[in-house]
Amino acid sequence: MRGGDRDAYAELVNRHAPVALRAASLLGAGPDAEDVVQEAFVKAYRALSRFRKGAAFRPWLLRIVANEARNLHRAAGRRAAREQSAWERTAPLLTAPEADNPATTALSRERRAELVEALARLSEKQRLVVTCRYLLEFDEAETATVLGWPRGTVKSRLHRALRQLHDELARPETAALEDDDVHRREVGYGA
Amino acid sequence: MAPDTRYKAVAGDLVLLGRAAPQPTPLPGLTAAVMTRLSAVPPPVVATTPQHVLRRVVEVVATNRRRAVAVVTTLLLALLATPPVRATVADWFGFAGVIVRHEVTPRPSMAPPPPPAAGATTIEQANALVAFGAVVPDALGVPQGVEVSADRRLLSMSWTGGRDGTVRLDQFDGRLDYTFLKVARADKYTSVAGSPALWFDEPHEVVVLNPDGSSRTETARLAGHTLIWQYGDTTLRLEGNLTRARARTIARSTTPLP
Repeated sequence: MRGGDRDAYAELVNRHAPVALRAASLLGAGPDAEDVVQEAFVKAYRALSRFRKGAAFRPWLLRIVANEARNLHRAAGRRAAREQSAWERTAPLLTAPEADNPATTALSRERRAELVEALARLSEKQRLVVTCRYLLEFDEAETATVLGWPRGTVKSRLHRALRQLHDELARPETAALEDDDVHRREVGYGA
Repeated sequence: MAPDTRYKAVAGDLVLLGRAAPQPTPLPGLTAAVMTRLSAVPPPVVATTPQHVLRRVVEVVATNRRRAVAVVTTLLLALLATPPVRATVADWFGFAGVIVRHEVTPRPSMAPPPPPAAGATTIEQANALVAFGAVVPDALGVPQGVEVSADRRLLSMSWTGGRDGTVRLDQFDGRLDYTFLKVARADKYTSVAGSPALWFDEPHEVVVLNPDGSSRTETARLAGHTLIWQYGDTTLRLEGNLTRARARTIARSTTPLP
């Protein structure tokens, strides 16, 4: 590896490490996020030959990160056990209050607990798409790359996930009535 | 944000939930650990097919599509010789308006000092002529020469007789204007005020490409130490008998004209 390449790649690692860590921790790595990210950067370098010229580095790296985070749970056995194992590492991060983070106070402790319980009842795929799109705030295109799904699949799974979350969660009393009426009329046919 | 306004409330709460989660900060040793592991990894091999080259060329000139075809012909062979990994990494940083071609051909060990800018305009006059906001490195003081190219896309300044000898600064709007083609054996990544920069510490050829992609032969010359960086959308190229430290100091002192 040439000197200039090393410096350039180190710069890429520096630049993308924070978002990679955050993605790893919420996509199933939990406290092992640092190891997952290190592994992902090494794999990304090895896989540079498959990198499509002209594509952005970040979504591609994050896709490797997402795969590595899921790979941590291979030892857990059957699929259901693996998915459960990944969620068990993520959920505590979402419920644990962080004292000096202003976003923590934006939601009540009860609301956070409610959201996390509702997330637990989603399918693994729905949880992944919600995690990428909302918890990690990736845009739709990046979410599609990170999860390796077509854009249409991201849209439809996200829509179903949001509908389920919306239906399960207690809404603020004042706003609930009208919205729910509209909602019932629209989904009534399929119910 | 939500695909449906009915779900806006829950989507908004999910965003807040994500933001409230602990924000992990990378341990100081992360980059070093990755780089140590990579030192044992052989460089990846990329099959450089004409398709790859074509895609890369189109990407390089994506800011100015109309000259893409001409650039393809000019640079096809050049890019075939570009080490692929390096080319890829350089693309990610995206030095607008600069193409670096690597060649192992031996170069003379010394380059002549850069040609001083000829014009007798003032910085203020020059700034009024170009369509981008010109910048000046305060570390060099008032330039002795200021020149604007006939098509008003390239602004050059030079300083002579100071502690640095002859120093030349070229600047242009990296989004759409000039392309400098540099043919060098190697370049090094460095930084200017936290932004990536390229440093050439060996004599190398530099050519200014026409907007149609053809090279302007009269501009082909041997250049000495050169630092390339960006200030906003302006791409800057500083050349002279400078150390890397001095070049970075000058680059850091850059401020826009009022």
